[in-house]
Formats: sequence, C-alpha cells, structure tokens
Amino acid sequence: MTETELSLERLLFNLNTLAELGEEITSPKDFTRVVKSSLYMVMGSFSSSRGAIFQHENGSGSYVPIASKGLGDIGGLKLKLNDEAVSELLKRREPVDLSSGGAGLLGAARETLEKIDARVLACLTVKDELLGLIAINGKFSGEPFTVYDFQLLSVMSQHISFSLHSHSLLMKLMHKYTENKNLYENLRRIYYDTIHAFAAAIDAKDSYTRGHSHRVSAYSAALAREMGWSNDEVEGIRIAGLLHDIGKITVDKTIINKASPLTSYECRELNSHPVIGYEILSKIKFPWKGIPMMTRNHHEKVDGTGYPDRLRKSEIPIGARIMALVDAFDAMTTDRPYRPRLSFREAICEVRDNWNRQFDPEVVHPFISVIRKEVRRETDNPTIVPLLQEEIDGASLNRLLDGFPRA
Amino acid sequence: MVKRYRNFKELGDTVVLYPDDYINDIEGEKLEDLCASYLDRGFRKIVVDFSETELINSIGVSILIGVIEKVRERDANIYFSGLKRVNYDIFSIVGLTKHIRIFETEEDALGSGSKPVGQAVL
Ligand SMILES: [Fe+2]
Repeated sequence: MTETELSLERLLFNLNTLAELGEEITSPKDFTRVVKSSLYMVMGSFSSSRGAIFQHENGSGSYVPIASKGLGDIGGLKLKLNDEAVSELLKRREPVDLSSGGAGLLGAARETLEKIDARVLACLTVKDELLGLIAINGKFSGEPFTVYDFQLLSVMSQHISFSLHSHSLLMKLMHKYTENKNLYENLRRIYYDTIHAFAAAIDAKDSYTRGHSHRVSAYSAALAREMGWSNDEVEGIRIAGLLHDIGKITVDKTIINKASPLTSYECRELNSHPVIGYEILSKIKFPWKGIPMMTRNHHEKVDGTGYPDRLRKSEIPIGARIMALVDAFDAMTTDRPYRPRLSFREAICEVRDNWNRQFDPEVVHPFISVIRKEVRRETDNPTIVPLLQEEIDGASLNRLLDGFPRA
Repeated sequence: MVKRYRNFKELGDTVVLYPDDYINDIEGEKLEDLCASYLDRGFRKIVVDFSETELINSIGVSILIGVIEKVRERDANIYFSGLKRVNYDIFSIVGLTKHIRIFETEEDALGSGSKPVGQAVL
C-alpha cells in the first residue's frame, strides 16, 4: 500500500466506523451495550488496549465509569473534577493530550487517570454541560496521536455525547424533542462533512475531474427532486453522487489521467471501478437505501451495452439511470485529458443523439425541464446552470430543445 | 453462521482458534474468553486463523488487541493466519501488522518456530 492509498483506506475505515457508531447510538439496544460498543469502536480506531467511558454522577462532582476495557474491575474508581477543571475542559472542547502537560488542569483526577494509564482524554459535552469523559491509553502500535486522530476522536465523542444526552433525558422522562432534533442535525452535518472530505479525496486522484463528484451529486439531487422523489431519497442520491467513483481509488492514477487511447488491459482496469465501488460501499450501513447499487450501475446504458451488468432500461435502478445521465453530461461539459470540453449546445446534441440508447427518456425529460426552469429563473436555487462554464440564454435554449423528441 | 464444529483445534500445547465470519460486535469478546481459558489450561501457542472471517471492524480490532494483550501477559505466543486482504488492510491501518506475526496459512503459522509476541516482522 502506498502512503496515499493507506490514508484513503484509513479514511474509509474511519468513515465506516462513524456510520456504525451513528447506527449504534440510534439503535434500540440497551444503554449499557451501546456505551460499551461505542468505547470499543473508539479503542479499535486508535488501537488502544485500555480505556473507559465515565459519566457524570448526579449530585456529586464525580465521574464514574459506565464502560471499560482492559482495566479489570474499576467499579470503585471515581474521577473528581472541581468546577474550575470542568469549565477549563469545556472551554477547550478538543481532546486533551495528557502526556504533553495537558493534565495540569485536572487536579486530583490526574492521579486517577495515571492509575489507568490514560494518554488522551476526550470530553462528552452537550451545550455547556460536561456529561462525561472518554479516557484511552496510547496506541498499541506506539505511534503518536496525530492532529487527524484528535479530530476523529472529537467527532466520535460528539456522537457518543448525543447518546449519553438522550439517555439521561430519557431517564429523567424529559422529552425535549426539538433540542434533540437540533442535536441530531449537527450529527448529520458531521456525517456529510466526512463524506465530502472523502469525495474530495476521490476527485484529487484525477487532475481533470476536480469537483466532478460534487457536481454529479448536485445534479442528481436536482434531477431527483424534479422527478418528485422524497427528501430522504434525494439525500440518498446526493450521497451516492459524492461516492459514485469511489472504486477509482484502486485504479492506477496514470490510467485515469491518460490522454491517449487506453489499451484493453487499462480499459478493463478503469471499467472495474463501479464493481469495486459497489463492494466497498455495500459494507457500509448507510441510513439511505440504494447507494451501492447506484454506484454499481452508473455506467449502464438503456440499450444494454453498458457495464458491468449489461442491464437494459427498467432493469437499471432509476437512481443509476439518473447518475448515468448527469455523470456523462458533466464529463462532456468539462475538459478531459483527451479532449477539451464540449459546449452546452454540443452536449445537449450528444444527449439527443444517444436518446433511448445510452440515456433513458424518463430521465432526460425532467433533466431538460430543470435546465429550462433554471434558465428562465423559475427556481429559487438553481443548481445546474450556475455550474456550467457558459451563459445560456432562453431563446437559444428554446431553439436547441425544439428538435428534442417528445416522450 | 457460527461454525461450532471447527471453532478450535488442539495440537499439543498449541491451539488454533477459528473466529466467526464477522468480528463486528461485542459478542466477539467470547474469543478473548476462549483464549484466556486456553492460557489457563497451559497452552503456550495460539494461532488465530481468519480464513472464515469476512469482516473485522473497529470493535473487532479492539477485541483482538485484548486477545494479544492477554497472551503477552502470560508470555505465550500468538500468530494470525488466513487473513483476507480487506482485513489485512484494516490491521495495517491500525498498526497491528507491525506487532504480530502474520502467516499466509494456518499450516505456515503452525510450522513456525516460537518467537515471542511483539517481535515485529518488519
Ligand atoms: Fe464512473
């Protein structure tokens, strides 16, 4: 594995852990089990052999262990934190590196943490309340914690805070639905940020397709919305768009960026990316349906000459038909290693010429109508037209679309 | 699902353990308990063969680190074998590959001389 591939693999492993953690904390399993699983996920991510999650004990300034691993019986252990230490921890937000002087503020708790060999301390907070703490020892591999590790631990802590918070709310029989909903919104944003970071990593491999995944994602979502999909389904295809070329992470960079025609070996390599992407994504438990299949079938053609499954029209998942169109459309309207970009006019003619062969009329029609609405400024937030690298005026669009077959 | 009939194999002071097809939730901890009970009974060499294991996630990693720690505490030896590519990659991401001897096959692991755990094969 090369360095970049290793970090992509690592990103994927961590993304998968975050998805599982998200699923775990919203699952109906009992609280003890959820907390234990969460701790194991944190420890597995940083290869720690000893760790514990502490929860604030009502009525005392102490934090008591609610899950631990590798520490034997620590039932009697308590972390005592005075107000000063709590407010200092809340101010920091970031995990504290105990080995580099970060422990100074902890007072008496410091000794207790030393006893359990803790190296890093992460806060579990909701708003301005310190609900609990995660303490883990150094990495099994002996490697130091990186800035990235601290960020990941911080994200994981936010997930776990949510679980702790929900649980304590439930215990008090206080159903603050709206607050909880806002908290969950935050979680969703963290999830998106992680996937966005990943999409950027995929695009970085291909010097020509900077932003390709983002545009495919935005176009697919706009088109799905036009076709009357529910909000949830639209979010699903938005994520699928970001990840549809994920299989390219295993394809050699020189093949992806090659300007001359590909040899049959290179072609096979490149064309393997939908299946590899499917294999990667089918292992992730997404909160949305259909993402792995949309990825697998985004190079199918309605006449059955696409790949990898040579499916025909209605055999191709509708989401994949949407992505096939917008993927090709974005490829046409941006520069490629082997040719400069086509004009909007040329791209639309290309879509028309491949009507019912490569592209599905059921998808092309709404696509045209979104573009038409955007050009006529009939939509509040246009998505496709602003991303095209040219101005399109209403009159020439009408002339262009006149020649289009009717459904 | 769980292949009880080939959960373990005893050979002298060596035992080969075959984990389930997924090591991805805290149920997997039974592997740690199993390991501890073999060490209690005086077994000196533990081979964990993953050829039936499809997927190990972060929970699985944490459980396996627990297993390795247990073996280290008793000065016994532990080897891994039969890792699928995806699982090997996960081990290398978290740095385990540098700290444990990993063999292609169970037979290779069984045939190896006993080296102390933690002796990295770099
Ligand atoms: Fe693709």
